[in-house]
Amino acid sequence: MKPPETARPAAPRRRGRIEKHLGPVSCAIGLAVVIGLYALRQPLILSPFGLASLANVSVPLALAAIGQTIVLLGAGLDLSIGAEITLVNCFAATTMQGSPLGIGGIVVLSLLIGLGLGAVNGLIIAYGRVEPLIATFCTSFIYGGAALIILPRPGGTIPAGFANALTGNWGILPFSLVLLAAAVLLAWIPVFRSRLGRFIVAVGDDAESARVSGLPVRRVEMTSYVLAGLFAAIAALFLAAETTSGDPTIGSIYTLNSLAAAVLGGVALTGGRGTAIGPILGSFLLSIILNALGVFNVSAFWQDCIEGLILMVVLGLGGLRLLRGGNWLTVLRQ
Amino acid sequence: MTAPGKTARIGTGPAPFAARLGPAARRMLLSYLILLLVYGCAVAVNPEFLGWGTMRLQLVQATFIGLIAIGETFAILIGQIDLSVPWTITLSAILSTNLAAVYGHQWIAFAIVIAVGVAVGLLNTLGVFVLRVHSLIWTLSVNLLLQGIALVYTNAVAPTTHIPGAARALALGNVGFMPAAFLVWIVCGATSILALRAMPFGRSIYAIGNSPAAALLSGVPIGRVTALIFVISATCAAFVGLLLSGYSSQAYLGMGNDYLLPPIAAVVIGGTRLSGGEGGYAGSIAGALTVVLLQAILVTLNISEGARQLVFGAILLALALLFLKRRS
Repeated sequence: MKPPETARPAAPRRRGRIEKHLGPVSCAIGLAVVIGLYALRQPLILSPFGLASLANVSVPLALAAIGQTIVLLGAGLDLSIGAEITLVNCFAATTMQGSPLGIGGIVVLSLLIGLGLGAVNGLIIAYGRVEPLIATFCTSFIYGGAALIILPRPGGTIPAGFANALTGNWGILPFSLVLLAAAVLLAWIPVFRSRLGRFIVAVGDDAESARVSGLPVRRVEMTSYVLAGLFAAIAALFLAAETTSGDPTIGSIYTLNSLAAAVLGGVALTGGRGTAIGPILGSFLLSIILNALGVFNVSAFWQDCIEGLILMVVLGLGGLRLLRGGNWLTVLRQ
Repeated sequence: MTAPGKTARIGTGPAPFAARLGPAARRMLLSYLILLLVYGCAVAVNPEFLGWGTMRLQLVQATFIGLIAIGETFAILIGQIDLSVPWTITLSAILSTNLAAVYGHQWIAFAIVIAVGVAVGLLNTLGVFVLRVHSLIWTLSVNLLLQGIALVYTNAVAPTTHIPGAARALALGNVGFMPAAFLVWIVCGATSILALRAMPFGRSIYAIGNSPAAALLSGVPIGRVTALIFVISATCAAFVGLLLSGYSSQAYLGMGNDYLLPPIAAVVIGGTRLSGGEGGYAGSIAGALTVVLLQAILVTLNISEGARQLVFGAILLALALLFLKRRS
């Protein structure tokens, strides 16, 4: 599909390099503007408690967006991320209180479940050869159904110790940011500094050339979904700590929002292009805008309208970038 | 890589008849085999599925999904997808019934349906074609916007309980022994198949689905075709919204929420490739009936909501694993 690298003229390639940083940079600027406006209206937001609450509403989406980004980099798509979050959240909320395994045991078990759910997606897509969209759409039903069986209505309990350990703050440093940084340091960086990360990007850029070059395409695809499941599980545990309970609908918004945050942060839906910092900044921007609407006296009835409009404007601006140069033919080839 | 193995795996084997058919026709045939299989299961679970009374209900349900699947088939054939269906349904149902009640003329409702369809379709085209945003994420955002508009509108104006008579007649009435809605589906479905098979519009669709750049170079008006497809898709959804409000005698928030995934499942079971360029509406008809029968079986089994979702997902997944391998 894509023309080979050498056939591309020099100018678009330079533009491509600029574009790589355009997503993260515009998100960072947007984030600074939004926090600035927020602080003008509500100065308390710059207090340690305010910063911790901003971080707490953004971190689950950031984790989900990182998971989504890993899959998108490999030219996949995970529509089950919301359902994975829901299922792990319900599992943790129903088992953590008074479990013989202790809190640590349940945390480990939750992460393992996340890996397992990702592995099921990966098996179906990489070895079952089903399109990612339809495969993860089917598994989102399965995971969501399983969550409803475990916990038919919101409930369950999370020990206060566990909740405080994840959602508290240490001076101006919220624990949630430490968790996010740890997840990136322990999972993202080792993967994308190693061969595996380059393989994922190579497969995402052009699966056929990757296969011809002898890359284990199926194993690489599989691994990207397993990693996404891991990040979904971390997000689910954090949500459990934040709400101190479980909810069988808690994850549903994270499927669209994780995609949106990734796109905001400059990740290409066609695969092979993206960073970790972009989606993280995108998630913070998206979450904080939505959180700020209440402070600006926007009625709750307008919230969906505004969220949709923001998404459309931002996505549209990203698209306008493509149209700046060239004719329709070059546009269609991108 | 798996192409030779794939033909051998299809149940009937490389029989002369199956071998003479193209891959698209084979996949369509397969979708009708799946339908027969699922119907067999339905009858095994509950013999009432043999009777006309039960099947009549299923046909009406399948009409709702099948009408949405018209637009969805077109969109998927050009390599796009329309996920703004649920709140197009709800918004159109609420607006059309309300405004028809206000102006006291039931045909206003149909004008509103078309207006909503054209507006949503053009909005989708703006993002997907003009701004080059991936349709999956753009149409989901449009869906969110429509949800917001519906919430704001119903906050200001309470939904009416006065449903236009024509909508009730279309959704609940009979022509002879056939449900009127089903006849509407037959007409729309036949037109769609004809448009895809025998009209320049259909050829443009397949050309765009196979390669937008090649279609552009061969003079296909890709912008106009894309816009037309999204307008058709939104209008189908908006029309189903009005039908649904006639069917349940009310228009309410969230009434379209169950109609996001079943139509897409119908298109996929019907053998249209999600990557575009291959498939057709004839398969989607079988797909719509299959999805409705599957849902009916799960309702008959009387299991919890969670288990029902789980089984629905697992069955779809099994079908996808068995029949819907992607090209490698």
